[in-house]
Amino acid sequence: MKEVKIYSDGRVVIDGTETIYEQKGMALLEHLYRTEVRDYPKFFKMDALCKLGFLAVELLVRDEKDRFTPREDRAVILFGKSGPLCNDRNYQATVADFPSPSLFVYTLANIVTGEIAIRNKYKGESSFFVMSEKDEKTMKNTLEEAFQDPMTAEAVTGWINCMEENDFEAEIKIIVK
Amino acid sequence: MELTETLKAQIIEALNLDGMTPEDIDSSAPLFGDEGLGLDSIDALELILLMEKNYGIKLKNPAEGKEIFKSVETMASYIEKNRTK
Repeated sequence: MKEVKIYSDGRVVIDGTETIYEQKGMALLEHLYRTEVRDYPKFFKMDALCKLGFLAVELLVRDEKDRFTPREDRAVILFGKSGPLCNDRNYQATVADFPSPSLFVYTLANIVTGEIAIRNKYKGESSFFVMSEKDEKTMKNTLEEAFQDPMTAEAVTGWINCMEENDFEAEIKIIVK
Repeated sequence: MELTETLKAQIIEALNLDGMTPEDIDSSAPLFGDEGLGLDSIDALELILLMEKNYGIKLKNPAEGKEIFKSVETMASYIEKNRTK
């Protein structure tokens, strides 16, 4: 099982190997994009939650052969507490003047799963479940239900949370049916 | 500052492209689609607002947008010819 963890305090763990970056919070995400991705300017449009999820999956699948070949057998099923709360606050701040369309589009929790699916050409299930606390049992049950679909053979899944732009964590892995 | 450079900074601000710098934007690269900046129709609304707010340009024919918003260069050229402020 492959797993990537990114924490706002600068820790990045890839398959158990931890690297501690001097950059923290959003500066860490920007640094990871500029050093590990570089070729997807849409990254800069994303809200904090999407940037976090996008980067975690980039680090997770970057070495896969034929990674951009469209596939229907891999679902993206994520869980978190905050949803797009950071972006919601930013959007709310624009409402008094002129509501920003570009912020409005990120006010749904499942935009992050969509961004991941678009980048990697995943055509399978894409869902985001908001939970009041991390509940491993419910997460496991939800995945088992997803695997009832004969089309779904694998899932990019895990916990992703962004309470503030400098307070986030992502723990994302790929599991196989 | 040249209009193209000013425009890049205004696009970054209007579209909330956090972390992006004007140097990241190629003046002649497509603004929309998978290449270049990867903007979409929602962002087009922001660009229309940007032109109205900063340059007094009201886009009367939305079909013109496709040509105007091809790149930062084409946008700057349209603004030069049509600005009222």
